[in-house]
Amino acid sequence: MASFQELVSRYHQKVYMVILGLLHNRDDALEVAQETFLRAYRKIGSFAGGSSFYTWIYRIAVNLAIDAQRRQKRNPLDFRETMDGVLEAQEETARDPFADVHDRELRENLIRAINELTPEHKAVIVLRTIEGLSYKDIGEILGCSEGTVMSRLHYARKKLQDKLSAFL
Amino acid sequence: MRDCENIRESIGRWLDGELDAAESESITAHLASCDECRKARQQLESIQHILKTTLLAEAQQIEFLPFWRGLQLRIGHKTSWYQQALERARETFTLSRAAWLVPASIAVLLAILSLESYIPGWREGRNSFASVESIDAYGRNVALLRQNESKTTVIWLYEDQEGENETADEPAKSAPAF
Repeated sequence: MASFQELVSRYHQKVYMVILGLLHNRDDALEVAQETFLRAYRKIGSFAGGSSFYTWIYRIAVNLAIDAQRRQKRNPLDFRETMDGVLEAQEETARDPFADVHDRELRENLIRAINELTPEHKAVIVLRTIEGLSYKDIGEILGCSEGTVMSRLHYARKKLQDKLSAFL
Repeated sequence: MRDCENIRESIGRWLDGELDAAESESITAHLASCDECRKARQQLESIQHILKTTLLAEAQQIEFLPFWRGLQLRIGHKTSWYQQALERARETFTLSRAAWLVPASIAVLLAILSLESYIPGWREGRNSFASVESIDAYGRNVALLRQNESKTTVIWLYEDQEGENETADEPAKSAPAF
């Protein structure tokens, strides 16, 4: 149990970041992050040493987050609430009272633009941005080829650039 | 111009370090002399930076101990058998798998129904029956006789003798007199 605790302490924030990047709601992201480690604890026996632990744990996290997001999408009201959660949190943590209106606007629009991407496109952007994972690792996590990762990343970046060009 | 389009297609991979040395060098050289492509690169870097700092600021608020205690509670929590079954069913019957369920169930059902043709004697004696179902519009009885061994169904129409006698008398009684 001590070694599992060590793994959780090392990865819990990163796993949470990936899930939050996909769900944009703190409560849901926390719930899914705990579920991720619970699954990992129960299925640690099925973890093949061939792949690294972080690709395995991220795979569980991304799959659970995508499932949760599909459930969210079926309920548009919940989906709208998800965006506010992150934005409010950012406002709370802003130290500068003027909090750079431009930055806030940019953040809001970035979150909105990311929300409009499909779960698969969102996942590549988040995994690449947060961890700087290689295309090979991202492909392993998402169960697709490096070429697919490359084209999804290109498409997602292009979409974000188009939507945010007025603010950048 | 065409060069710029090609370069912008590759800037993302260049930033990710996924290009070989020659491609990487040609992009570096182009960026040094092209304002528009430099701007595209800055936009991509800004998007990455903002997304990362936004998520990082959020993640730093997640303290380990409360997270770990919550997780320990969930690990120690014994789920009931139906919750476990539900969980397993949810994992097993994903949307794509569930799509196969309907045709698969129909195929199984048809296979069971067609067993009768392939296994002689199966369900023998279970469905042989004879019954009077109803009386038709002409006052005749309708009997349905089914014999499973020969796989024949006979629909038998017959008239009740007593009824016939009764009705035979009636026209005589009510026959118009001229």
